[in-house]
Amino acid sequence: MTQQYPSDGTGISGHGSFFQPTNLAPEEAAKATEWVRKHVDRRTLDLSERMDDVRDHMWALEKEGEIIVHRISDAHQPVNVQTLFGWNKKIPTMQLWHHKSCGQCGNIPGYPTALLWTMNKLGMVPGRDYLDETDQTSCTAWNYHGSGIGNLESLAAVFLRNFHQAYVSGKQHGHDTGHFFPLVHCGTSYGNYKEVRKYLIESPELREKVRKILGKLGRLVDGKLVIPEEIVHYSEWVHVMRNRIASELQTIDVSKIRATVHTACHYYKMVHEDAIYDPTVLGGNRTAVGTSVAQALGAQVIDYSTWYDCCGFGFRHIISEREFTRSFTMDRKIKVARVEANADVMLGIDTGCITTMDKNQWIGKAHEQNYSVPIMADIQFSALACGADPFKIVQLQWHASPCEEVVEKMGISWTESKKRFEAYLKEVEAGNIEYLYDPALAISR
Amino acid sequence: MATYAEMQEIFEDIKSDLRYDHELNGCLNCGICTATCPSAHFYDYSPREIVQLLWTENVEQIYDAMQEKIWACAQCMTCAARCPFKNSPGGLVAIMREVAIKHGLQSAKDVLRPFGRVMLKLITTGNQLSPDMIQPDHFPDWGPNIQKVEGNLKTLRKAIPLRTLQTTDTAWEVSLKTSVEMYTIWEMTGVLKSLEIMDENLYDVIQDFIEEKREEYEELVEKQADTDD
Repeated sequence: MTQQYPSDGTGISGHGSFFQPTNLAPEEAAKATEWVRKHVDRRTLDLSERMDDVRDHMWALEKEGEIIVHRISDAHQPVNVQTLFGWNKKIPTMQLWHHKSCGQCGNIPGYPTALLWTMNKLGMVPGRDYLDETDQTSCTAWNYHGSGIGNLESLAAVFLRNFHQAYVSGKQHGHDTGHFFPLVHCGTSYGNYKEVRKYLIESPELREKVRKILGKLGRLVDGKLVIPEEIVHYSEWVHVMRNRIASELQTIDVSKIRATVHTACHYYKMVHEDAIYDPTVLGGNRTAVGTSVAQALGAQVIDYSTWYDCCGFGFRHIISEREFTRSFTMDRKIKVARVEANADVMLGIDTGCITTMDKNQWIGKAHEQNYSVPIMADIQFSALACGADPFKIVQLQWHASPCEEVVEKMGISWTESKKRFEAYLKEVEAGNIEYLYDPALAISR
Repeated sequence: MATYAEMQEIFEDIKSDLRYDHELNGCLNCGICTATCPSAHFYDYSPREIVQLLWTENVEQIYDAMQEKIWACAQCMTCAARCPFKNSPGGLVAIMREVAIKHGLQSAKDVLRPFGRVMLKLITTGNQLSPDMIQPDHFPDWGPNIQKVEGNLKTLRKAIPLRTLQTTDTAWEVSLKTSVEMYTIWEMTGVLKSLEIMDENLYDVIQDFIEEKREEYEELVEKQADTDD
């Protein structure tokens, strides 16, 4: 047996004589520490015993007649996934109410268009299998995290208003209440809604306050608040649909593409027990969304040392502390993705991160930081791999980062697509607009 | 400078938020929150310090931190994900910001001045960001490739194949009824009152706008009722 540590009676690393080397062989050491490793391994660490599952309390409240739970039924064709502590989460795959993101719609419109295009390609029928309508507001959490204007009550009222609308939205289209289940596009909305739901379920005072507001708006059902069974992010839908997307829709080989992933902080750092983890993705040690679809499509997913870091968005910082935002995103994301991972693309799953990383590369030149990486959402990359037009559908013309480079590397001609799009703009001016769904469906009554 | 009694009142307001007891559970001073904090790289800001000040109920230093430090937080919540005590320093900062506004602290007014346009957009439309706010002229530091196809903003937005996104002054088309519902939420939750404390001029502009939109909505409802008859 090899002696691994000198034993001079002083103990290992000055810890005292009690701590003597065991001098076990590696396999013996592994066996001896098996129990400890099992209990500190994040995937098996049973924190769930010390942590409440808010959904249990939600069912109790419904039983007591306090709330109505908007259920995910068989008609929503749910797929079960596991979250951080191995809890089950149902992800509905059909009859979805698109809860849009103000940052995506205002700034990265290819994000929602790529998502709806993918749904159409999978055979989903607009107005029956999904709805994109005008009766919804932003979650207001960007403003809240940026400015502090707003409060728990206003965030909760906005959450309940929008989700009530999702609950009743089917009626206009000849469906039952509860037909459409909300699919949240924005990571911050998702994190914020989950946090707010927890407090709503816990606090009778908060429920009483917002019940008055929702009552005034005519948004109670039988005098009760409507709370969704699950809060679902679009990237979770992409995660559970990834194999169908790859097997049924993919037309372009992306195996030469080196992809890095930045997963939004508000997806997995807020109410972290509800984020999806999958043992086949990043060893189950990091949240699976974003990465899983890149893997399923066959891209080379490249890890990098600052994976856990935030993008630098900062909510108010991107508006009024831009030096912070651009420095952080360049130092901790763009430069690392370029130098360490030699990435062809950085995929995101959220609004603020993509805006931050996409828009703040050019200014790096001012400090001799000549690093650039194309930035887009997982679903935009996925749509490209499935043959979507880079301009008309993926709307990459709104991106400042060099997306043309990755598009060309995928074997799609940027120049030809651009020419086609410029010709299409003339058609648009003449009123000949192509839609992904009948525009009349969007108008809420 | 506030009196000790005023500072004590500010602290009591922070402490009385129902989230407070969830966000603060103890502190070992391990510093993992600060080690992982993006803002700590660039500012004189430490989430560990915020937690310690609150934990030790140091009302003077809490007041001091509310002058500038709390505005450095990027609200990414990395600290919350890492804390072995399940504290949320970012969540505590959010409460402190709300209280800074409630008490009309000058620091909050200064910090929020550049946020006026976003606030106006949000309160009046229920959207926080719109395409016409992100024009190349507003962001020269975003470089010359901010838009890869030349053209009129209206036409480019019309070329998005989703009806709801063919807008320029809101991120998506929001129905008038929806916006009017938002005004009720703002009023009943005291958000408009906070705005009045922060920026009276902005508040006046918003009030006029809300009044106009409510009238417009009432006319629309009457018109619809007539049509139904």
